[in-house]
Amino acid sequence: MKKIVGIFLLTCLFSCEVEENTPSKPIDDDFDASMATKLKMGTLVGIGGHTATGTATLYEEGGQKFVVLDPYESQNGPDLKVYLSKNVSASSYINLGPLKSVMGKQAYPVPGNPNINEYGYVHIWCEQYSVEFGRAQLQ
Amino acid sequence: MKPGLAALLILLFSIDGISQKSELNATGAVGNTEGTISLLYGMDWEVGKEKKIAIGWGARFTSYFGANQYYITAPAEITSGDTGPLVIFKENIEENIDTFLIKSPQVNSLNAFINLRYKFSEKIMIGFNIDVIGFSLGGSKNGNYINGYEGAMERATPTPFNLLLISDNDKGSLNSELYLKYYWNVRWGVKLGAQFLFTEYTTDTEVQQFPEPNDRFRNKSLMGALGVSFKL
Repeated sequence: MKKIVGIFLLTCLFSCEVEENTPSKPIDDDFDASMATKLKMGTLVGIGGHTATGTATLYEEGGQKFVVLDPYESQNGPDLKVYLSKNVSASSYINLGPLKSVMGKQAYPVPGNPNINEYGYVHIWCEQYSVEFGRAQLQ
Repeated sequence: MKPGLAALLILLFSIDGISQKSELNATGAVGNTEGTISLLYGMDWEVGKEKKIAIGWGARFTSYFGANQYYITAPAEITSGDTGPLVIFKENIEENIDTFLIKSPQVNSLNAFINLRYKFSEKIMIGFNIDVIGFSLGGSKNGNYINGYEGAMERATPTPFNLLLISDNDKGSLNSELYLKYYWNVRWGVKLGAQFLFTEYTTDTEVQQFPEPNDRFRNKSLMGALGVSFKL
């Protein structure tokens, strides 16, 4: 009986996942804001006790939209993504990709050709655990 | 009655007839940040001359709870482009399959099941059971619908009706087990095995639009299971 319980517990132990965090090395993306048109910007604030500071700005350069976080700093977490959304609850969003680093200037091209007037929020979102780390309202 | 079916029944219930056994069973199963507790009442009929094979049926209550589980597009006509009996052999059409991530899924289902087992001795047996039909209950949950770079936050509830069909044609939440059972006395036994569980949520709106509107998303869980049995 003890052996059976032991095998069962070992099965449970090895089924646990190892989490991977966002890179913490400071980043400095090569995006020249002076060559782009600023469309909207907002200040990042931490959500739910998480820390996130900096500025999120929406630019257009050569027909391509970019969200640029500069400056940017937040606490680390697993599976952090950058969302551009239509409202505060991100009920409809565009995933701009994994957060490149928890510190430094970083630029994210906006995929597709969305009506950018409909999008007013940038979220730092822990996708795996469905937790919002930070948010900026773009104005 | 068709001759083939009659021959099968004669074979199964041959010579020494049948004997009925019933039992209660409680099982816990654990997987990757998920688990179940299931309670089962079943009746088996031992058949054949040596009574090594048993077939049976019963009712099973399964309570599933998980954390951060990825549900995927459920209907077979979308996942496989087919609903016929050969759908089980079809490859999934990856571009048709979207994801719905639920932070804390919890589904309770009550289903009728069928059981098949083989007895090595009075103490040791191997078996397989699978839910066939029933219903599910559970609270509404927030989820993250993920379709490439586009997404949406949406609410969903467990699909209420459960029905075993073939492969992705199944509907709702259905449990199954492959198990080895050992009886340490005439009434009490321990069961060790693998539990394979489908749970399904239906979103409040048809969040998936390609290749056709869809609101059903399924999670498939393979878990290690440990239970106790009591013969009535």
